[in-house]
Amino acid sequence: MKTNIQFIPFAMLLNREIQRFMKVLAQTILTPMMTSTLYLLIFGVSLGASIQMSSGISFLEFLIPGLIMMGCLNNSFQNSSSSIVSAKFGGDLEDYRVSPLSNSQIVWALSLGGLARGLIVGGITFLVGEVFFYSTTGAWLNVHSWPIFVFFLAIGGLSFAKFGMSVAFWAKTFDQMSIVGNFLLLPLIYLGGVFFSLEKLSPFWQSVSKFNPLLYLINGVRYGVLGQADVSLSSCILVSGVALVFFHFLALRSLNRGSFVRW
Amino acid sequence: MSKPLSVQELIKDYGPNRAVDKVSFEVEPGEIFGLLGPNGAGKTSIISIITTLERPTGGAVSVFGHDVVKDSRQAKVNLGVVPQEIINHGYFTVEEILKFHSGYFGIWENQKQIDFLLERLDLHVHRNKRVKQLSGGMKRRLLIAKALVHKPKLLLLDEPTAGVDIELRESLWGFVEELKAQGISVVLTTHYLEEAEQLCDRVGIIHKGQIRKVGPTSSLIKEFTQRRIQLTLKDQIAPVSHRWLVDQSANQLVFQVPADQGLGDLMSTVDFSYENVMDAQIMEGTLEDAFRRVLGEPTA
Repeated sequence: MKTNIQFIPFAMLLNREIQRFMKVLAQTILTPMMTSTLYLLIFGVSLGASIQMSSGISFLEFLIPGLIMMGCLNNSFQNSSSSIVSAKFGGDLEDYRVSPLSNSQIVWALSLGGLARGLIVGGITFLVGEVFFYSTTGAWLNVHSWPIFVFFLAIGGLSFAKFGMSVAFWAKTFDQMSIVGNFLLLPLIYLGGVFFSLEKLSPFWQSVSKFNPLLYLINGVRYGVLGQADVSLSSCILVSGVALVFFHFLALRSLNRGSFVRW
Repeated sequence: MSKPLSVQELIKDYGPNRAVDKVSFEVEPGEIFGLLGPNGAGKTSIISIITTLERPTGGAVSVFGHDVVKDSRQAKVNLGVVPQEIINHGYFTVEEILKFHSGYFGIWENQKQIDFLLERLDLHVHRNKRVKQLSGGMKRRLLIAKALVHKPKLLLLDEPTAGVDIELRESLWGFVEELKAQGISVVLTTHYLEEAEQLCDRVGIIHKGQIRKVGPTSSLIKEFTQRRIQLTLKDQIAPVSHRWLVDQSANQLVFQVPADQGLGDLMSTVDFSYENVMDAQIMEGTLEDAFRRVLGEPTA
């Protein structure tokens, strides 16, 4: 029996995380796909036809990258947080602690698992968006820069998966979990420029919005897809990098201080 | 060679309450050690510290020489744990759970051991079932399979037979004996003192967070219990006066004899002959009697 506690515990936990959301595809993949489709249909195709963007692109083009990032962030957060909460509830979180899994391995395995789900949902949203774009314009939406597009998706998904872990370790009840999701995360995502451009806001609200870190993550993806964004690419890279480092250490701290004992 | 388990001056406080108070004991290779105590004595706190679920307030715990705080990952490589409460694993099947658990211990390919455990613990026909589809006994056996999937050298069993029927309990103890024969050390907490007496080479009795007594099971019984000898005589005799006599009725005499004294020692000190004894019943002291005595409770 060959034993390697440096890599295998991490790889097996990542494998478990991916299998976990693949077992409930209707919940984890198909539902977000349906949501994205409805958003694109209602806001992108129907209402979007009457919205004029000053940057020379259609509202549907503007909306697609925002929805991709929204799906990725939401699902990365949901995956890691629900994994921990259900493991706390079922008692199998204790398995992580009584085995040689290190906190760092747990953080990376769960955040990569969350990212995997986020990327799948983001990818499906992209495909659905392409179909809507083609059916509306007769042409495919060309991605301006795949590396920048994937870079921001990966940084955003990882950061939010780590944030989800931190919240799940902190929460003592399901109520506390939903408070963070509904009263912090959701407003930040919706006000982070998924559905509107900064140029549509008054100077005061433009300044306020620039304190929302999600604005930079969403605009990073938008730059990757469209080659233009409301904020500069360098500020997007800077804020995303800081967010990743911050959420990584927050997740590690949550594991170091949090309890693995079942609810 | 390092001891499988060494607990030294262990302290655990929960706020102002001290749950474990300077507890020390060691477990030898290949022995079954029973940690016995009433509810709330501190047994589960000690197990939780050994498994790193809880952090100690003071003292030191090491598994095969690896400190569970400073070198916890190496300490856990050789440690298997059967928790008190059933664990639910959501959407995963029995076999998947065992594969994941092998991986957490650094073993990617472990099918042979998984098949062996599924077979040995009568779970092979349930390998594709989810935990919620298993009976209580099967769930308990799955916990044991998980604890053994990485072939640990030290096994912690925290009340493994709580709520388990007699048949399963006996088969589990048979399995524990097999593990002992393979050289695996076992730490056991249980409320069933009769079983602890049969299984454990040594026991530690803990009460209100403090170890009251540690020693070989037979020695503790000898030290803290008395042998009860009941003699039935052929003829009724006059009232007997003897320092070990506890009851006399008609032709029956009941003596409580120190554990290191036998029937011969008793007969050499009474003033009636062997010929007058029709029957002699000798009842040995039990671990439960010793346990009660150590805790200062009245014995049966």
